[in-house]
Amino acid sequence: MASTGDAIVRLEGIDKRFGDVQANQGIDLEIRAGRIKALLGENGAGKSTLMSILAGRIKPDAGRIHIAGAARTYLTPREAIGAGIGMVYQHFTLIEALNVAENVCLGQSAGFWHDPRGDRRQVARLAETVGLEIDPAAPVARLSMGERQRVEILKLLQRQSRVLIFDEPTSVLTPPEIEQLFRALRRMAAQGKAIVFISHKLGEVLEIADEIAILRRGRIIEERPKAAYGARAELARRMVGRDVLLDIERPAVELRQPVLQIDALGGGGLQEVSLRLRQGEILSIVGVAGNGQAPLVQTVCGLQAPGAGSVEILGRSWDRFFAGSRSGLVYIPEDRLGLATCARLSLLDNFLLTTRRRFCRGPWLRRAPAAARLQALMADFAIRPADLGLAARQLSGGNLQKLVLAREFFRRPRLIVAEQPTQGLDIGATEDVWHLLLQAREEAGILLVTGDLNEALALSDRLAVMYRGRIVDNFSVFDTRKVDRIGQMMAGIE
Amino acid sequence: MNAEMILPLLAAAVQTGTPILYATLGEIVTERSGILNLGVEGIMMVGALAAYVCALATGSAWLGFAAGAAGGALLAAIHGLVCIGFRGNQVVSGLALTILGTGLANFLGVAYIGQSIPGFQRAALPLLEGIPFLGPVFFRQDALVYLSYLAPLAVWAALARTTWGLNLRAVGEAPEAVEAAGLSVSRLRWSAVLIGGAFMGAGGAYLSLAYTHLWTTGLVAGRGWIAVALVIFAAWHPHRAVVGAYLFGGVMAFQFRLQALGTHLPSSLLLMLPYALTIIVLVAAGLRLRSQAAPAALGVNHEPPD
Repeated sequence: MASTGDAIVRLEGIDKRFGDVQANQGIDLEIRAGRIKALLGENGAGKSTLMSILAGRIKPDAGRIHIAGAARTYLTPREAIGAGIGMVYQHFTLIEALNVAENVCLGQSAGFWHDPRGDRRQVARLAETVGLEIDPAAPVARLSMGERQRVEILKLLQRQSRVLIFDEPTSVLTPPEIEQLFRALRRMAAQGKAIVFISHKLGEVLEIADEIAILRRGRIIEERPKAAYGARAELARRMVGRDVLLDIERPAVELRQPVLQIDALGGGGLQEVSLRLRQGEILSIVGVAGNGQAPLVQTVCGLQAPGAGSVEILGRSWDRFFAGSRSGLVYIPEDRLGLATCARLSLLDNFLLTTRRRFCRGPWLRRAPAAARLQALMADFAIRPADLGLAARQLSGGNLQKLVLAREFFRRPRLIVAEQPTQGLDIGATEDVWHLLLQAREEAGILLVTGDLNEALALSDRLAVMYRGRIVDNFSVFDTRKVDRIGQMMAGIE
Repeated sequence: MNAEMILPLLAAAVQTGTPILYATLGEIVTERSGILNLGVEGIMMVGALAAYVCALATGSAWLGFAAGAAGGALLAAIHGLVCIGFRGNQVVSGLALTILGTGLANFLGVAYIGQSIPGFQRAALPLLEGIPFLGPVFFRQDALVYLSYLAPLAVWAALARTTWGLNLRAVGEAPEAVEAAGLSVSRLRWSAVLIGGAFMGAGGAYLSLAYTHLWTTGLVAGRGWIAVALVIFAAWHPHRAVVGAYLFGGVMAFQFRLQALGTHLPSSLLLMLPYALTIIVLVAAGLRLRSQAAPAALGVNHEPPD
């Protein structure tokens, strides 16, 4: 085995294009034994593409891969496995219908007969030696995400991998599982494995990495030992190439008439929920997911009738509002590509989904003016690529979310219900969405449901904490005494 | 009813069920790899004709049986070419194969209508035939029926106890995982389509060589479709296919007997029985299983990355 610090793999001048997008451009990278290297970059910076090339899943357009003194232009999956390179993909490549041992041993045995009992014993032994607890006979379908990741790691170890690549490994894990993963990564590095950790989360990268390589738009901007980087903010700035305003400026807006009044709302898991929202303010609902946020949003958006109490929207009762034109209310759902847009329809068709009334003449839809208007909106909202014929699923998460916002704001809403509006977006897109929401509150009241406390604190004027279907408390964001206790309120301690 | 009537009926059920059993096993192997082959009916027709013509020309029933299996594999290869080679629509390709196979066999077979061949004859197994009840039902049959007792065991062992079988089950569930494991998705699926086609062809061969001993137009008569339905009934397990095949064989044999005895029921209504049972079985299986047992990637073509 190579000793710590020796290069196991060296990439040289790797280029890869997907259509018009240059995913990787002239990338040089060395992966060394016993080190944890972080690949840091925004969504779409080309991190996963680069590592998929190394794992033999994608063929590069140009460049060389040096392994053990030999240079190659590309690897097949089989060659990558043979060279000791293994990758845990963001979407696990496990087979749910098979058990743990079968998954770990898939493709490993060259013999004719398959020996289930022997495989289970072997996997149990392997799991024991590396300290990853797992029942080898358990069907994968019944495992938690953290357990599945352990199976993926065992798969790589079973193949004697020397380079272990993890693509956004923490995105599906709970905090204790993340701790466990990090311990396992450190242990494997100590045993001389080379670890590559792909992430866009600054805190994790600073915690786990020995070396940090920053990717931006397909290029490696710089690569240094972790000690060379100071604070998170510096790392963030290098990653996006400009200063990120994580503390966003909030212009004061005059409060006007109420747009939403909820009194003693019950039913669907809600109990005695009372809220006031006025034009010009953002009210954040915070809490652990599943504590009543979903029924509250569904009631306000007309998807579920109130069980008890009263809901008044824009000055009209719930029944009358949803019996009428519903104009003035917009809903920005959490599920961007399922509820908010149709994945396979073009951007123009998606735009028309909720705005078509503006572009109707009798039974006819006038597409030309709609296209002109959308083109102008896409320029205003900086949505790229600005091609109306693209399907919604071809946009990145951030651009798609901006398209949804552009479409909904075009309807001149006075009450906006936004659910997890920046989930899964990178820092740049998050910042854009925040600015758009802050702007929109000049014309509307915004009910923001978010699981990200930083987001709630950055954007909202008032906060309401939910626990088990009740509003625990409802206070101004400037009430520092209560803000400090949000954690306890979310956990139901107060 | 007494034993004198029941035992021959059960023996007939086994014999009638045998071609369906071969075809069902073939479809199970194919579908386990993630390829849906709706061409079973056509493949059985071609297998039946190939077996009959070969047996007539060479005088050897066993050569005929081999020709039937080979003919089935050959026609299934068209399905493989369309679905694995060109990633075409599996449903359309399978339906086309049924139409092609049925038409081709009926057309080429016109010259042979009415000529009888010896084929496989009943040959009781010594000792085993003496077992009460089981002997007369299972062990006074022909060689292909005896072979069909081993077939489910062989398919089960291949799927559960060989490396090939593990890989095959994996490719039907998650081809991308198999690819990432460094195995060839196409090669695995090709092997399943060809072996499955051979089994379907063998089912057809049984019809012409051992069941009718002659060639008639439309010989397969929907048995291929019953096999497709039985795969769902069997929840993609070879041993349950045995139960299903004999159940259908029993209903088919029963309605023939009933017609021969002469009843007041119209014959077309009786002929409908197996197909009505197919629908009932599918509804029942759907209620019970909610098709959870289906391979996750069934009918989904695998696009290789880049």
